[in-house]
Amino acid sequence: MVALVMITFFWGGIAIAQNGDAPATDGSAGLLLSEAVMCEDIETYAPVNRAVVFATGIGQVVCFTAFENIPEQMFIYHSWFRGDELITTKRLTLKPPKWGTHSKILLRQADIGPWRVEVHDQQENIITTLRFSITE
Amino acid sequence: MPMLDVQSSVASLRWQDILDIALNSYILFRLYVLFRGTTTFRVLIGIALLWIVQRIAAFLGLIVTSWAIQGIMAVAALIIIIVLRNEIRSVLQAKNLKTILWGIPTRVGQTPHEIIADSVFDLAKKRHGALLVLPGKEDLSDIVQSGLPWHGVVSREMIASIFWPDNPVHDGAAILQKDRIAQVGVILPLSLRQDLPSSYGTRHRSAIGLAAEKDALVIVVSEETGHVITTRGGQITTTRTRADLIRQLEAHSGVLGSQLEARKQEILKLATAAVVAVLFVMSMWFGFSRGLESLTTLDVPIEYMNRDPKMEILETSANSVALNLSGSGALIKSMRPETVKVRLDLGKAVVGSNTFTISPENITVPPGIILKKVTPAVVEVALDVLVIKELPVQVDWTGRLPDGFILTNATVTPAKVNLVGERRILKGLTTIYTEKVPLDGLTQTGSMTVNLALNPASLKVGSDSVDRVTLAYIVKKRVPRDPATEP
Repeated sequence: MVALVMITFFWGGIAIAQNGDAPATDGSAGLLLSEAVMCEDIETYAPVNRAVVFATGIGQVVCFTAFENIPEQMFIYHSWFRGDELITTKRLTLKPPKWGTHSKILLRQADIGPWRVEVHDQQENIITTLRFSITE
Repeated sequence: MPMLDVQSSVASLRWQDILDIALNSYILFRLYVLFRGTTTFRVLIGIALLWIVQRIAAFLGLIVTSWAIQGIMAVAALIIIIVLRNEIRSVLQAKNLKTILWGIPTRVGQTPHEIIADSVFDLAKKRHGALLVLPGKEDLSDIVQSGLPWHGVVSREMIASIFWPDNPVHDGAAILQKDRIAQVGVILPLSLRQDLPSSYGTRHRSAIGLAAEKDALVIVVSEETGHVITTRGGQITTTRTRADLIRQLEAHSGVLGSQLEARKQEILKLATAAVVAVLFVMSMWFGFSRGLESLTTLDVPIEYMNRDPKMEILETSANSVALNLSGSGALIKSMRPETVKVRLDLGKAVVGSNTFTISPENITVPPGIILKKVTPAVVEVALDVLVIKELPVQVDWTGRLPDGFILTNATVTPAKVNLVGERRILKGLTTIYTEKVPLDGLTQTGSMTVNLALNPASLKVGSDSVDRVTLAYIVKKRVPRDPATEP
């Protein structure tokens, strides 16, 4: 239903989460979420047009997350929900010591409604939740 | 089995049925009272007999006979109205409303004895002498003379005219037989007794003379004194009142007490008619209520009673049951759906699935209606307790922002609310959304108050939470993007 393209890359910026639950740390590994944001695109490793509402005409929505204090290569997950329905979950790689990564969905008319992306670790501990809406 | 049917029918009598039977029995009884002795009544009896025959024919399955009798009855009813309309009108018009509704019209007219007594005292009042002979069992022809045959029906006017002083026959005796004046101007044998009062004239002596010889009763009205005496056998009686005279007349004719007897007979006849009317209407009622039994199926919603207020009904295998009901066609037709109820007591229900068998005790039907079948007979009811769950609030945006603007942030206060609802529902909920918030026209940062969209409606906001939240939003101008990097 939703085409998903995932891109990972290095990221060293520091930011706060936007319209999401407060950044959390993974206690077991000292992992620190430095930024979590929904945006229209990524350019030069930076989120473009951070927002909480995305029109379908934009074509895509990107969930960008950046972590610090990464002890070792590991995975985090972006779970995309439309309403309370899980649409897709993407596994993203994190590499020490800092790493930025993102996932995105392509937008269609049928995707209109409230969405959220839950960012969680391998133990399914939710690190943060980003909430946004897709509109006409 | 028929006896059981009758017993069950009597046991299921409603007050409406009793009123129905009583009312129609009274109407039937009144028809008897008003129309007895008339042709209309005889035709009505005929129609009633036809109805009984028709019911028997229907019971035996004689289709054509039943159909034909029904047709005849319909025509007979028409005949009564058309052919006998004059008789019906005369019966109804001749009586006032009281008589029609509850009066018992007397059928006993004035008897000849009463007419004779009235006439005698009329004559006495006018001092017109009179001599009336009421023969007993013995024949008088051998001792009376010169009588003129009359053969007129006894009436006050007739007797008055016979003994009118200018009437040529007024000095003679009139012989009365039953309700007729047989002879007038009759000469009776004179008594030769010496012990009679000097005031007694020829009339008195004639009367005493005849009475001494025969078993006749002779009435004398004195022209001089206006006194009335009667004589029978050797006995002479001065009669002062009308009632005395009537009593003597009745004693003589052997009908003493006949009026009382007639009244008793009349009461017995009316009581019999009343009983027959009740029995007839009851048989009709049973005919209608049992003979025309019909079946119907009714879908009735189940009412769940005595639920623990802490629990909610999550799911039921059936919200209504189909009841197969039987009863008379009239009862089934007049039955209102709201009078049929199915109630399940959840007083002993527990959290989780509960199985209830629907028994007759759970079902209320109107009197006279019999429950035949319940479908489904078993109902599963799942119950759950209400729980409280804290959920984050998310804005449900709709519409479209003006071109060139971007909504970069939105903050809801409070960010979370407590919701109260069924555990099953709340278990699947992770977010509570606001009502739709339109984006159209938003070009500036601002705030607004928004209602929560509580769906399903059974969800409630906890007592420590609110169902409206404050939404603060930031609107910025969109950063122009490099076309080369457009997705």
